Amino acid sequence: MSARYGFVIDLDRCTGCGACTVACAAENNVPPAQARATPRTGLTPMLVRKVSNGMEGTARREAFIPIACMHCGNETPCVSVCPQQAVEVDKATGIVVQMPQRCLGCRYCMTACPYHARYFNWWDPAWPVGMEKSLNPGVAVRMRGVVEKCNMCPARLHSAQEKAAAAGRKEIDPADYIPACAEACPTGAILFGNLADEKDPVFPAAHSSDAFRLLARLGTEPKVYYKSQQAWVKALAERDSDRATEARHG
Amino acid sequence: MKVNRRDMLIGGAGALAGLVLTPVPWKLLSDVSIWTQNFPWIPQPAHGPVETKYSVCTLCEGGCGMRVRMAANYPVGVAGVGSHPLTRGALCPLAFAAHQLNWHPRRLREVRHAGRAASWTEAQAAFQKACGEGPIAIVDGRPGRAASSVFEAFTRKRRGSYQIVLSAESQALAPYANWSGVPVASLGFDLENARTVVSFGAPVLDGWGTPGRFTRLWSERAGGAADPQLRLIQIEPTLSRTAARAWQWVPVREGSEAALAAGVARVLWEERLVTSQGPLPQLPPAEAAAQTGLTPEAIRELAQRMVENRPAVVIAADGNPAIAALNVLLGAVGTPGGIVKKRKDVPSRVPADSVPGPLRAVLVDSTVPWEFAAPTDAEVFRFAAWDGGGNSAGWLLPAPVFLEELTDVPTPPTSARETYAVALNLAEPPREVRSAAQFLLQIDPTLPAVEKLIHARCEEIYRARQGTVYGEHPTAVAKLDSAQHFEEQLRQGAVWMGEPPGPGKLRCELKEWPMENRVAHAGSWATAWVPPVFPALATKLYQESNLREPPAGRQA
Repeated sequence: MSARYGFVIDLDRCTGCGACTVACAAENNVPPAQARATPRTGLTPMLVRKVSNGMEGTARREAFIPIACMHCGNETPCVSVCPQQAVEVDKATGIVVQMPQRCLGCRYCMTACPYHARYFNWWDPAWPVGMEKSLNPGVAVRMRGVVEKCNMCPARLHSAQEKAAAAGRKEIDPADYIPACAEACPTGAILFGNLADEKDPVFPAAHSSDAFRLLARLGTEPKVYYKSQQAWVKALAERDSDRATEARHG
Repeated sequence: MKVNRRDMLIGGAGALAGLVLTPVPWKLLSDVSIWTQNFPWIPQPAHGPVETKYSVCTLCEGGCGMRVRMAANYPVGVAGVGSHPLTRGALCPLAFAAHQLNWHPRRLREVRHAGRAASWTEAQAAFQKACGEGPIAIVDGRPGRAASSVFEAFTRKRRGSYQIVLSAESQALAPYANWSGVPVASLGFDLENARTVVSFGAPVLDGWGTPGRFTRLWSERAGGAADPQLRLIQIEPTLSRTAARAWQWVPVREGSEAALAAGVARVLWEERLVTSQGPLPQLPPAEAAAQTGLTPEAIRELAQRMVENRPAVVIAADGNPAIAALNVLLGAVGTPGGIVKKRKDVPSRVPADSVPGPLRAVLVDSTVPWEFAAPTDAEVFRFAAWDGGGNSAGWLLPAPVFLEELTDVPTPPTSARETYAVALNLAEPPREVRSAAQFLLQIDPTLPAVEKLIHARCEEIYRARQGTVYGEHPTAVAKLDSAQHFEEQLRQGAVWMGEPPGPGKLRCELKEWPMENRVAHAGSWATAWVPPVFPALATKLYQESNLREPPAGRQA
């Protein structure tokens, strides 16, 4: 049976600490910032954005939204534009996989992604002398000139699959496959699991009344769900959807 | 047979078509793509046996449990440990890249004297000479360790003084120590039993105390719910990360926290919301409202909320006694869910900012924050793993870093229960580094070794037969068959936790209501981080995104 892996992120629990961002980078051998890197040119496959209700003073409220690749399940925009077939939706897992070996660096996918969840590798990956010994041996370092994004920690998935195969099981143990961001979240705001499995804790969370998806109106069926009981946070996501829809239709 | 131009073209086209049907071009394409991913200047991870070790973070005094992934004997990944009794799997964001600190460009790799390279022999000779010429002091940033015992033993023998540096969290407990006579190290916040936490600017959801301890509690018992089991009320002038997630944010004018505490105390007393006897502040609620920028109704409402979901505890960002006095009035001192006294008595220590008399030399341990400047003209021997720059110490001595040194981890300052853990030397340190304890042991070999002291401490805990060891499964110490077994468990990453504090062992008496108006500066998000440098990947948080402010005075 094929899985449909995804995240449910409770925004009311997210404190914006950034543990997910750092853990993601450490797990996936994302290099530290190059001297000239900025928020626009940096590599942050898991990025936490701060948003507010737009008010000032005592009426101001803020929330933090972790944004990674949404792993769109329908008409995946990056897949349909890639001239190199460097992006695929894995049918067995539902993960939108970026293959840097095939990537030309044309950046069509970055233009097509409505979530700005893709990053271009502007510089050769570099670490201070000796620090390469601290890299994760299960993940290859990507070259300059390719696009990167969240692949849901494929090294962890492969490790779980190897473990299942060694034990003679066809299915992996869900406890063996948790992406670094979900594992690192100190408040448990990031839930990860199989959205197609009714017994998985993410299933009821994704179908709860306060769950929503960013730019849901585009119909790309993202596999990242968000939750919030704060009306202004939900309204923000819907307002952005309206803007995006307007932009697409001129 | 004559080959004409037409045959040549047909043959060529046929060969091309045939080539496409062979694996050759696809193999070439594959090889080229792999080759372009493996240029010699692209860093390659170290390959070797992969194993998982359990340890405890020593980068601040929080003592969080860590799962360290090792490859080819190098640490390559860090994660939290779910079985840790305080942090339960949570870590601060910096910890996830902390294993990269061992290779930080600012790592100290040689002895330096007055800015020039020197040797350990010279440093040792200079320190021995200083010891012979006058009194010395040793400053420790993390008292209670085995290394601390070495420092104390050395200072006892050499007419020196042993001093400590208090963290902001420990300073917040100092008023209760003054009022009760119980040392700061014996006090703690019983957050696990609190139902309302009122924070006067303390970043309780952003690295305060043991990072992860309160965050986990808040996540389980509040987590953004409209009517949570645990209410977090954050009193702070700006909308900080903690304020943004608090059940209630009370924005007050900067520096008016003491006035608010006084106003709340008056309401608590006048409306008979508390039963405690004691002095009262003179400040009327109307005046408190004028100073804080709140309405008298808002202060009244805050007072009511403090008592409607008890036990409630007040946490100050620093040692402001005016705020601490609220806990005395609320009856939150010496009771579950408040300020409690730990089971074991700890001797009182001298804070490093009150150096007694002139000194010939000061030895500063690597656990002391880099910004610490000894308030003396004495010759300073500063142990540090990284050179944070701008330090005026005469001697800079390279110390082992995180995961390179065998050390024990005593109870974190804010914990209500004693804990004890052992952090192993998982990674090979560079040859040039020495810890302060090793340095002193070379000067005086009669001092006890750190390893022996850890062994003795384990035996002491085992003999008491109290508490629980949190390893893979929690096990009562009384059920372990030997002290050796107990120590083995700790060396494999388990944490010992003592019994809960007994009630009624702490009493604070106020002679008058303290009124101290001071600006509680909300420290930078990295204040609690002891190393003067950041892991390189911390740049993701402030350079490659706008999530946080760049940390002042620290380089990634």
